[in-house]
Amino acid sequence: MPNIKKIQRKLDKKYGGKVQVTLEDDIIRLTGELENWSDVYGACAMAATKRSNVHVVNDIKFTGAEVPPMRVPSLTDNAVDGKTPDVLVIGGGISGCAIARELSKWDMSVMLIEKNPDFAMGASGANDGEVHVGFDLSKGSLKQKYVLLGNKLYDKLCADLDVPFRREGQYVLFTQWWLFVPLFFFVLWRKYHDGVKDSHFVLRGKIRRDQPTFDKKILFGVYNDTAGVVCPYGLTIALAENAVENGVEAYLNTAVLSMDTNENGGIVAVHTNRGTIKPRVVVNAAGVFADDIAEMAHDRFYSIHPRRGTNSIQDRKSANIIDTVASVQHVNLALAKSHTKGGGLMRTVHDNVLAGPDAVETYAKEDTATHPESIKVTYDKQKGTVPLASERDIITYFTGVRAPTYEEDFVIEWGRKCSNMLHCSGIQSPGLTAAPAFALDIEKMVVERIALIKPVEKKQKWNPVRHGVPVLKDMSPAKRAAYIQKNPDYGVIICRCEEISKGEIIDCLNRPLCPPTVDAIKKRIRPGMGRCQGGFCSPLITKIIAEHEDIALSDVRKSTAESVICFGETKGGSTND
Amino acid sequence: MIKTCDVLVIGGGPAGLAAAISAHKEGARVVLVEREARLGGILKQCIHDGFGLVRFNEKLSGPEYAERFIDEFRELGIESKLLTFVTSLERIPEGFKATLVSRDGVEVYETKTVILATGCRERTSKQVFIHGTRPAGIFTAGTAQHFTNLLGQLPTKRCVILGSGDIGLIMARRLTLEGAEVVGVYEVKPTPSGLTRNIHQCLNDYNIPLHLSHTVTRVFGQDRLTAVEIAEVDDHMKPISGTEEIIDCDALILSVGLIPENEIAETLDVQIDPRTKGPICDAHLMTTVPGIFSCGNALHVNDLVDYVSESGETAGKYAAHFAIGTDRVPVEIHPNENILYIVPQRIDLSEDNHETVVYFRSKEVFEKATFRIVADGKTLFEKRYTFLKPPEMEKVVVDFASFNIRANTAIRAEVEVEGQ
Repeated sequence: MPNIKKIQRKLDKKYGGKVQVTLEDDIIRLTGELENWSDVYGACAMAATKRSNVHVVNDIKFTGAEVPPMRVPSLTDNAVDGKTPDVLVIGGGISGCAIARELSKWDMSVMLIEKNPDFAMGASGANDGEVHVGFDLSKGSLKQKYVLLGNKLYDKLCADLDVPFRREGQYVLFTQWWLFVPLFFFVLWRKYHDGVKDSHFVLRGKIRRDQPTFDKKILFGVYNDTAGVVCPYGLTIALAENAVENGVEAYLNTAVLSMDTNENGGIVAVHTNRGTIKPRVVVNAAGVFADDIAEMAHDRFYSIHPRRGTNSIQDRKSANIIDTVASVQHVNLALAKSHTKGGGLMRTVHDNVLAGPDAVETYAKEDTATHPESIKVTYDKQKGTVPLASERDIITYFTGVRAPTYEEDFVIEWGRKCSNMLHCSGIQSPGLTAAPAFALDIEKMVVERIALIKPVEKKQKWNPVRHGVPVLKDMSPAKRAAYIQKNPDYGVIICRCEEISKGEIIDCLNRPLCPPTVDAIKKRIRPGMGRCQGGFCSPLITKIIAEHEDIALSDVRKSTAESVICFGETKGGSTND
Repeated sequence: MIKTCDVLVIGGGPAGLAAAISAHKEGARVVLVEREARLGGILKQCIHDGFGLVRFNEKLSGPEYAERFIDEFRELGIESKLLTFVTSLERIPEGFKATLVSRDGVEVYETKTVILATGCRERTSKQVFIHGTRPAGIFTAGTAQHFTNLLGQLPTKRCVILGSGDIGLIMARRLTLEGAEVVGVYEVKPTPSGLTRNIHQCLNDYNIPLHLSHTVTRVFGQDRLTAVEIAEVDDHMKPISGTEEIIDCDALILSVGLIPENEIAETLDVQIDPRTKGPICDAHLMTTVPGIFSCGNALHVNDLVDYVSESGETAGKYAAHFAIGTDRVPVEIHPNENILYIVPQRIDLSEDNHETVVYFRSKEVFEKATFRIVADGKTLFEKRYTFLKPPEMEKVVVDFASFNIRANTAIRAEVEVEGQ
């Protein structure tokens, strides 16, 4: 049990009596008033014990700025009103989609809702795509448990779902000789104590031979050959599509606004902008909003502290500078440890170079704006890995917001006060790697619970296989020709940078769950992801969408209902070509 | 079945059309590949006038200018492949093998020479490091022009334009005429990037303010853009803290530079000049890879289409000659520090160099300057200028044959400024 008096003393010393701490119902609750967010974060982090299941709940009033409310879609209708699914999964990120797909194996009704206009719009969409090995994690955490299990599931999962995945290996590199001995023993410890079996100690000579582009100051490092890269949003969407193919009902633009609970603490109704749902069980996979959702069910026993990270993408032209994942670690004993491995440099599964992410604490859960400092910080660091990495080759950058708890571990358990809410919260790196594994455990937990209420059987026919939109660019000339013969639109290149054809774009629009927006198509099949960033193809894609949906060009959207691209006809009006 | 030709032209804009016509006239078997459904390239969306002043002594619109070449191209019966995309280009002993994708499937062409007339692309907001959110309403000027002129759709009601490149200036006027409000044009440099005539005709005539030494530092808006932050910049083009100002608008239109498209060239290891960002070429516009020629905006960014056509003609003519085959003797031309770039970067002694067209841009705005070509200390060519400005490309015709140039001759191009 945490020593509350000691924590209070530490807080008083640092924050001069502005923060009070109490321990009640296994919750370390902080109250008071602070003006700086860094102080709010600092106080909560000070009170937290890593990986403890006695969590810090942040009730400190932050007075420095107005915390923006959760963005809710403007849409209101009755699309989900009166639905009574056995399971309601809240959140269409990697966690929610992986869970929905596992649950779709069972003969019960499963509903997946996401408040954004597409899946993978939060942290899953802005993830760097690394499939981790868990080298930085110690035994005893849920992160460590699931990262080891999850990594092993990736080959089959990605093969089943037609999602590109590559085991490119990962280097953790060092430039300080004095770390040589400690690291040598650390690798052994990881191997025999923590079960990270594939870490090798590598020396300068071999690194230079295998990776001639790496910085010459690198002395030694650890190589993990089972590390991989995947397209994080591609996988999330594939999981959602496969879940729907297996009977899950999925709704986008559907936000949870409030809940009704009964006297036993059970959720009886979930109110959304599209009507009220009455589920038996709710899975909370709401990412940065997981604690807000928990609060709606009067079960907020942890707090999420949003942590922003920015990744940069370099032109594919520069892909020859790296063919793996790498990062240099400088250990400075004088400095406190920060909550990031400091990002890295990697070749993505689409052959771009990705640099990042950084880590910045923020109070704004949906603030995905980018800042120049993020790019500077990342490149200052990554040039130490591969000196050829250059900001000049950047074609885009984007920010995501991680959803950690103050204990910096996953929360995967049934509600403590709310009996029918299963929390899948605090999911941050290595959440992408871990999701396929914890989804299996959550499946088990949910099925056991439903089985108490009604008999549940596995479906006779469950199809784990999903086929994506064909990728013409990667086909042999003969196969490509055969596809074009079937559908000549496959021969009309719309996105010249990524070589995407009109046929692929129309296929994409015809898929289940594809919102007819420019961004949704971009996420699924990549037009606009290349070096011209949609300069040439965005008008063409806007037109294809308008024709496919039989709507006016000015009714086509970038992403949300309000993301207008054009304001209507010019004085001369539309031409028909 | 594999098809063959002498000259494969990639790109059906003004450069490619001129190249194909001139190669055809020299007797070569020419095939032109264009990825769009119609010939003309970006001229199709340039409905303003001012094209052809140098070449035809007439003020034509973009489509009118293109039409003159398209008509000639058609009359000559040159083969074109529209809605066709080159997916790869490989070296083979006979020349090059190009793989083409179209509605008809996948075709392979073997060609003796290739002319790259692939034009250029626009620099994007992220390439000039604009930060903030990612809303709808950030367009490059060419994209906004596509929406406005080809699709008949208004992309903005009230916008800020960043960059004073010519397309940005043209779009400032175009959008104003369509009833949109252009709050201002902001240019990070202390001098405008576009042609002086466009500053007058597109901004001054419509009372659109031009703010030099200013840039956009940030964009706002979750769904559609709602505002931009602008700031004054110092001598190093870095924003000066404290000068920030928020401007409400629904779009940011960018005219911040053009980049020659040479991705296909690079797959063949064609050497790129870091100054022009186009291939290093000799006076016949052959790149460092024998048989690969470059012209138009893929070679270097031109401000007048007239010169684009001219370079296409040069490339077309000599590509046709090359298909017949001659030994080449390249000699480098070395520009001095006052020259931003020079094209061609080398001449070929095996060809006739009596009337070699040379293009250059000065590095800065110079008053009273002299441009010279010097071979082993002897001046071959000299021209005085009252003004030299980087946005305005200069063209001269040099008689390299007036000096006995040998392979080891040092050829220099100089801009000398009075009093410097």
